[in-house]
Amino acid sequence: MESIYNGYEKKLHEIAIRVTERIRDYGSTFSDKTGKKLFEHLSWRIKTEESMRSKCIEDGLPLTAHSALKEIHDAIGIRIVCLFLNDIHNNIEELRKLPGCTVIEEKDYIGAAKPNGYRSYHLILSVEDDEPDIDGNTPGTYFAEIQLRTIAMDTWAALEHEMRYKKDIRHPELISAELKRCADELAACDVSMQTIRDLIRS
Amino acid sequence: MKILLAEDETDLADVVSAMLSHSGYTVDTVSNGLEAVEKARGDAYDAILLDIMMPVMDGLAAVAEIRKSGNTTPVLFLTAKTEVDDRIAGLDAGADDYLTKPFAMGELLARVRAMTRRHGQYSPRIVTLQDLTLDTSKSELTCRNSISLAIRETRLMEQFMNNPEIAFSTEELLEKFWLGEDSADADAVWMYISFLRNKLKAVGSSLVISGETGGAYVLTQGVAV
Repeated sequence: MESIYNGYEKKLHEIAIRVTERIRDYGSTFSDKTGKKLFEHLSWRIKTEESMRSKCIEDGLPLTAHSALKEIHDAIGIRIVCLFLNDIHNNIEELRKLPGCTVIEEKDYIGAAKPNGYRSYHLILSVEDDEPDIDGNTPGTYFAEIQLRTIAMDTWAALEHEMRYKKDIRHPELISAELKRCADELAACDVSMQTIRDLIRS
Repeated sequence: MKILLAEDETDLADVVSAMLSHSGYTVDTVSNGLEAVEKARGDAYDAILLDIMMPVMDGLAAVAEIRKSGNTTPVLFLTAKTEVDDRIAGLDAGADDYLTKPFAMGELLARVRAMTRRHGQYSPRIVTLQDLTLDTSKSELTCRNSISLAIRETRLMEQFMNNPEIAFSTEELLEKFWLGEDSADADAVWMYISFLRNKLKAVGSSLVISGETGGAYVLTQGVAV
């Protein structure tokens, strides 16, 4: 079966690495200046063939490279995991300044968590590239979804992900309610730790 | 602890007030029901003592008015022996207890102690104020988001939400929520106020706690951004 990315996998990797490098660069500049880290972990992935195909079907899109590269915006996913809540906002400010990139969409699931308790800040970057893209435009345009969260949110998301893909869970309602409670407690810790850091620094 | 006393017989009011002050309570004394309603609206009390027969507005109308505003402060009626119907009407209007005149000061103090002790159990588990909901049994604060609170944060928040626009001094809060903790000082209060401020922000509430370190704090409507 032909790849849904139709020969653009290499380009997607290239773009993901390029954006990640730029994020790493502003991170180093920040730590050189302040001695503090702006994020703890930085990782990226290209959405698998299988997930991309199911997403196209889910969204009612034809199974084409145009759908995967232009209509769906998270073929490239980059995750920035921070120690403290305010670090997330500092990263967002830096992302807005990234050369060759424009923030075209933002979803604040920290200000308004999803009903299950999921918290993260999502934004879509539109990334310019010198070579022509799938639609024949030069410069080409690619998209990357950036997810920003604290370590606590990251741990929670990992657990929630595990639960979602496990079949035959006993008492799923109870587990969901307890997961929601954990999310609210972790959010409370994130806020308290940020507050204490502010008090120490003031 | 703070007590509101509404009694139009000046001699009796003086004696009761002196007794309560001597026992460590802070007492505000007024001489009619209307003043009692206004005081209860403008300040937070741990108990309210109301005479029934008073000029301008009697104790029955006053307790009904106080309860209508959502105020759950325990109310004790001071009644003459003959006023059985009034005692029934008073309890039905929202009073928690009554004491018939003449009464022994020891009994009055014991009833005040009992009432203030019980209050926690009778307060509603869910407190709402504008866009904000506090579930005291789950220690959960909810607006656009929900977040967990520590036990002390819950009790502080409950106090603020039950008394919006009323200022509490650092000393009052220390006395009420850090009782018997020698190491607690203005910094401890400030830290908890800071926790609550950021949690109000985290749930997306339009309410804010205003005030400076060591000063008085009040839960109020934030300035629209």
